[in-house]
Amino acid sequence: MLARLLTFLAVTLVTVPAARAADECLVCHSALGDTPSTMYPGDIHYRKGISCSGCHGGNPESSDPERAMDTTAGFIGVPRGNAISTACARCHSNAAQMKRWNSSVPTGQLEQLQASVHGKLSIEGRDRIAQCTSCHGVHQITAVGSPKSPVYPSNVVTTCARCHNNAVYIRSYNPSLPVDQLEKYRTSVHGIRNAKGDPKTAECASCHGSHGILSAKDVKSSVYPTNIPSTCERCHADPGYMKEYGIATDQYAKYAKSVHGVALLQKNDLGAPACNSCHGNHGAAPPGVESVSKVCGTCHALNADLFSASPHKKAFDERHLPECETCHGNHAIIVATDKLLGVSPEAVCSRCHSTADFPRGYRVAATMRALIDSLETSEAIADSLVENAEQKGMEIGEAKYKLREIRQARLESRTMVHSFNEEKFDAVVTKGLTVAAWVGGEARNALAEYVFRRIGLGVSTLIITVLAVALWLFIRRLERKQVREETVTNNSSIS
Amino acid sequence: MSTLGKKLYRWVDDRVHLGDLIEFMGKKYVPVHRGSIWYYFGGVTLFLFLIQVITGILLLLYYKGSEDLAFESIQFLMSKVSFGWLIRSVHSWSANLFILAAFIHMFSVFFEKSYRPPREMTWLSGMFMLFLGFGFGFSGYLLPWNELAFFATKVGTDIAGVIPLVGKPMMIFLRGGEDVTGATLSRFFGFHVAVLPGLFTVLLGIHLLLVQRQGMSEPLGAEDSPAADKKTMPFFPNFLLRDLLFWLIVLNVLAILAVFFPWELGQKADAFAPAPAGIRPEWYFLFMFQTLKYLPAQLWIVDGEVLGILLFALAGILWTLVPFWDRKSAKGQQSRIITYVGIGAIVYILVFTILGWLF
Amino acid sequence: MNNTPQTKRDFLKYVLGAGVLAWLASVVYPVLAYLKPPKQGEVEVTTVKVGPLSAIPKESGEIVRFGTKPVILIRTAEGDVRAFAATCTHLDCTVQFRKDLGVIWCACHNGKYDLSGRNIAGPPPRPLDPYRVVIQDGDVLLSKKS
Repeated sequence: MLARLLTFLAVTLVTVPAARAADECLVCHSALGDTPSTMYPGDIHYRKGISCSGCHGGNPESSDPERAMDTTAGFIGVPRGNAISTACARCHSNAAQMKRWNSSVPTGQLEQLQASVHGKLSIEGRDRIAQCTSCHGVHQITAVGSPKSPVYPSNVVTTCARCHNNAVYIRSYNPSLPVDQLEKYRTSVHGIRNAKGDPKTAECASCHGSHGILSAKDVKSSVYPTNIPSTCERCHADPGYMKEYGIATDQYAKYAKSVHGVALLQKNDLGAPACNSCHGNHGAAPPGVESVSKVCGTCHALNADLFSASPHKKAFDERHLPECETCHGNHAIIVATDKLLGVSPEAVCSRCHSTADFPRGYRVAATMRALIDSLETSEAIADSLVENAEQKGMEIGEAKYKLREIRQARLESRTMVHSFNEEKFDAVVTKGLTVAAWVGGEARNALAEYVFRRIGLGVSTLIITVLAVALWLFIRRLERKQVREETVTNNSSIS
Repeated sequence: MSTLGKKLYRWVDDRVHLGDLIEFMGKKYVPVHRGSIWYYFGGVTLFLFLIQVITGILLLLYYKGSEDLAFESIQFLMSKVSFGWLIRSVHSWSANLFILAAFIHMFSVFFEKSYRPPREMTWLSGMFMLFLGFGFGFSGYLLPWNELAFFATKVGTDIAGVIPLVGKPMMIFLRGGEDVTGATLSRFFGFHVAVLPGLFTVLLGIHLLLVQRQGMSEPLGAEDSPAADKKTMPFFPNFLLRDLLFWLIVLNVLAILAVFFPWELGQKADAFAPAPAGIRPEWYFLFMFQTLKYLPAQLWIVDGEVLGILLFALAGILWTLVPFWDRKSAKGQQSRIITYVGIGAIVYILVFTILGWLF
Repeated sequence: MNNTPQTKRDFLKYVLGAGVLAWLASVVYPVLAYLKPPKQGEVEVTTVKVGPLSAIPKESGEIVRFGTKPVILIRTAEGDVRAFAATCTHLDCTVQFRKDLGVIWCACHNGKYDLSGRNIAGPPPRPLDPYRVVIQDGDVLLSKKS
């Protein structure tokens, strides 16, 4: 029985296109006029010479339905669940077999699918939620590069959306997963171009992958936060690929060196923004001039609030200056230092504020810089005094504890810069300066105490010296007396 | 008040006969001559040892001998405990002065050839105490668990490990394992506060007993001169008071050093940090360390370092056994060779110590 | 003639006696001071007694000094007491309890943590380090989580 089955399989599977015989399955079913047989001649597998029996089993050479669809001869009927993909994989996961069909399509898709999120989730614990046919269709499968294929760039978005747009369906697997990706996508630069038929712009598979799609929470996923920049980079940093779109290709290089890039890519800080944090993911587009501060403000909320309430808000809007970006830059954003503030050549304030244009701002910028500099100096002095006192073994825990407040005031003042309000800024700096003065005073007291110890030593040294001298005098006195006594005894013995 | 004191004295005297002791000390005379000043260095060494014992016990109240807490506990001691900085500084300084005083004491005895019969045992016990002193220094150096000490101990025990046959087991014994770790610290702590002080006290007892029993040694040839020509002073109270005077001076020096040059604590040891620049052992090991550095890696057919260590060991043994091979001094004759050997040793130690400091 | 050395010697004796006493004082005083346990009894602070639980109102948060580090002690509306290192995981500012927002908040960059110390908004990259809270005889004790 087994031997018979094997012979049969060998015969059916190793059917070579050249030796194409009349396919009795198709002959009969076409006569019946059912949908599969009507569609199948448009299928790439038909054109490669694969019979219905290639997937369904049975004997395509027999015109007798009984014999042709004999289950003992290997007929499997309509495969269900995982059996569908298994049927595909008989060839598609077997490189030798694919070669025999003269195909250059890569193999191993089923294995990738099994490892993917679609392969791990199952229906009733038996079958994967997605089979090959879920995306590639059935009976009229075309090459992926064909515009008719459901996975061709302009079609794939709706193919994925068939499930991913279905709230009821998605809810049964992952209730927290959004279902509006397609809607958002249609608003994105990628989506608009895709709708116009541009196959080069990103679609679902460009970022998420195809057979081996992983959950975005999986560290190996191409859309896991730390992997996003390099996923976007694949297209956006390729000058040849991006040529026709006329946009820069240095964003990744700049980003990787930026404070955000370093935090995310080197320090693995998942709170740091990747490309999608500012541009959106499915609805990716560059933020507009007005919305820059709101985008940055999702994390830098305080700075954004202060800025929005500041006089700069109106001035920037009128001049169409992107808010945060004008001073801080975008992709290449670096750690903001105090140098940005003020009227020195490297400061950004003086780009607009000069003594001639906007002199009031010029003065405020200079004052604010002076204030923040003085706070920094005070902190450094207090810091070194405390360290000095500590090195000398003085107990100065309270002052050390308060040092943090100076630092905090300095950090707060750097935020408060964005109010561009001299008074508010001054209040924060003054708070820091007051603490710095107190800490410095404590540390100086401790150092004075250290000097006092030396006085204490001086006193005890003096005591010891006096004692030593007195002892010396005492010894001399004693010995003189001994000598005197000796002479007296000697004299008396003589006399 | 004074009658109470007399009563108390009589009470004790009735039981232990203090009178005999005072009579013994009163009859004891110390020779007075050109080199008398050197007699005081034994007393100074003893005084410094006593300071070590007292400050050591005080430090023990706060010190924690574990890898996690050793450094922190010293930091705590120096910043939070009142006068903790002083006690630690005094302990460190007096340790160094102790070794210095012991060296001076030893060399003065050596040049006077006072080790000659019948004082061989005194010399031997003294030499053993000096070696124990080195042990104290080496083990105590690691206890703060700072970077410098950590690496110095590593290098020091590495050198011990080079000795053929016994070196490797000795190194593992000292380290309590293959590497310098918390286990080494526990071990060194044990040596420093229990093993070494115990041995030292026994030797010190013998040493002092012998000195009291045999009296101070006189310079060579002085025995021959007539008794009337010999200048002496009573041990009690004259010599003892002078001893006290010296102790006060040493105490003053110690106090000034401790306050004006407080002992640094440095950085906490980190086994994975690169070795800091300028690792050097305590100054009294420096001349040996420096010699080993200058020796070529391969000397004839033996490893240079091994040869150096063996030579130092041999020199140490010969030096310790000098009473037994210096025949001339034993017969009461001047022995020039011994004097030259001593001068040679001092010059060698000075030169290499200075080189060690400079480079 | 006999008088001078006598007085001189007496004077010397006084100096010696006083010197010995002063010297003893200058040795004994540091040693006694050294023996007295310092305010902070341990190398590292391991436990801090905050005070009676009844003194801490519900829905409140206060900063408690723990060695040289600040700790924020939170009492929730339900009456739970929790404690976290009050050092923001972003840039080490000291965080505070905001009753109006119901969160632990950092003034420097608007970082927010929920009352379990989890970073929920703003730049903080990590949750706040928790401390152990023990209620003993009605007193709140803080200790480091080992």
